[in-house]
Amino acid sequence: MKYEIPVGPIHPALKEPIMLKFTLEGERIVDVDVIASQNHRGIEWIGMNRNNPVQSIYLSERICGICNFCHPACLVMAVEEAADIESPERAEYIRVIQGELERIHSHLLWAGVAAHELGFDSLLHYVWMVREKVMDVLELINGNRVTKAIIMYGGVRRDIKDEHIPKIKRMLDYYKQAFGKLAKLFLEDKTIKMRTREIGILPYEEAIKLATVGPTARASGVTKDVRQDMPYFAYPDFEVKAITPDMLTGETIGDTYDRIIVRLLEVKQSIEIIEQALDEMPPGDILAEPKIIKLINQIKKAEGEAVARHEAPRGEVIHYVKLKSGFEYLYAWKVRAPTYINILSWRPMLLDMQIADIPIVAASIDPCMSCTNRVVIVRNNKEEILTADDLHRLSVKKTRRLLR
Amino acid sequence: MGILRGGGKEMNAEEIMQKFQEAGYEAWIKEREAGVKNKVKRKSVWIKVDREKIRDAVEHLTELAEEYPHFSIISASDEGDEIELNYHFTLGYGKLLEEFVVTFKVTLPKSDLKIKSITNLIPAAIFSEREIREMMGVEIEELPDKRHLFLTKDFPDGIYPWRRDETAPKETNKLYEGWKK
Repeated sequence: MKYEIPVGPIHPALKEPIMLKFTLEGERIVDVDVIASQNHRGIEWIGMNRNNPVQSIYLSERICGICNFCHPACLVMAVEEAADIESPERAEYIRVIQGELERIHSHLLWAGVAAHELGFDSLLHYVWMVREKVMDVLELINGNRVTKAIIMYGGVRRDIKDEHIPKIKRMLDYYKQAFGKLAKLFLEDKTIKMRTREIGILPYEEAIKLATVGPTARASGVTKDVRQDMPYFAYPDFEVKAITPDMLTGETIGDTYDRIIVRLLEVKQSIEIIEQALDEMPPGDILAEPKIIKLINQIKKAEGEAVARHEAPRGEVIHYVKLKSGFEYLYAWKVRAPTYINILSWRPMLLDMQIADIPIVAASIDPCMSCTNRVVIVRNNKEEILTADDLHRLSVKKTRRLLR
Repeated sequence: MGILRGGGKEMNAEEIMQKFQEAGYEAWIKEREAGVKNKVKRKSVWIKVDREKIRDAVEHLTELAEEYPHFSIISASDEGDEIELNYHFTLGYGKLLEEFVVTFKVTLPKSDLKIKSITNLIPAAIFSEREIREMMGVEIEELPDKRHLFLTKDFPDGIYPWRRDETAPKETNKLYEGWKK
């Protein structure tokens, strides 16, 4: 007897409102369908019809609360290429530091969510406590924890001052110490291993075929990282290497456990990049054109198109921008967030898994959606509504069962 | 599917451009510098493709390249009497500083907005093709799934948010029945 569970629609504040429809035979998932048409905010439309290009920076910051640096950074990169604007060297370094700070906080946030999905709430609280250190630094250098409004065409808006550097270094030292403990908690715990090893496997072939990006692809052995393959900003100076799980365990399986490994190692990599950037940051200006009106006019006169790609915490984010001379807004603007392409990989991951594995496997690609609103189970033509809490409880139950 | 690697050998941006020029396509390269101490060039190859040839072009790319073309996105813009579609791919990934973007540029006249689907060749393109279909009103032929992707089920027909002509949404608050007037 087959039955269907639709999961979703999700929280409307997220950029990819999504509903998943599972077809089940007993506990086993036999089919997954993704229905995205739940809520469309028309961000691209606003950028193309209402906002001037500078306003669009702040709009793109609000595409996603967690990646509030990578979207504006990618838009700025595209417009800079299309309008031929250069930014100062120091600004390119500050952009790298901001990008890596974002990666640290996002990966730690994800690690907490993953722990929660498995029913380890004490670990969630511990990881999020650790995460507060990077949030404090973000607040210190930007004046804000999220929606930092730091990037601008031709540079950044706020400098990293000398008095900030000792505090950032203290944070880096703290993370170096915390890393060992985090790795032990996540990778050596028997129950986490049981819930994630061989669960939600994405084979290398599927990852390539479905154009998967970011940690999800790297955990399947695809060594694809924009910072390595096609570096931007000041990244060519750092020679970043794509992280794959075999660096730690010697093998690549492509399961949820491997995705944990990749993200943890990337936190360590980000710490190293920030350290190097702080040491090598050149002095100088941070903004090529401080007068905004002049900048807007310069972009208004420009003509051209560009594709920009940035390695966000979740993977490769792509912005396509087309500028027309004399046109006030962006003539064309296409945003491709990493989750847009990564949700395709849910199907191969979830097939043949159990209902209780849905939360952790769905969370393992680090989708830009925080919660599953509700689930309707149609069983013998009778509708039962499962809330996100019920699903979560099923997941916790499975952990408890395994613990026994 | 079956093709998980491209059929060809390792190629850089210039070679891909040349091969496409030899095959009769108009192709050019754009460059942009990045880096502070270690300056590198970020390259993108742009290729003009007739709409009848879009599948041929994608197949040609798959045959030429050593690796399976990594599909990025299809972007679109309204050019007055024409709609322009850009199919973005990346090649050379996984190697230090060797990746580049390949873009197929297709223009369709507004009187006949039809193009063949490439989902049979690149399965990851399905979301993007569904999006182009609903946002730009371009009919994607042989697309296996023609439901709305991002717009809701009750979004009115004949209105395309990315257009700049009379089919663009004007009074956005009156698009749906029952919405506040």
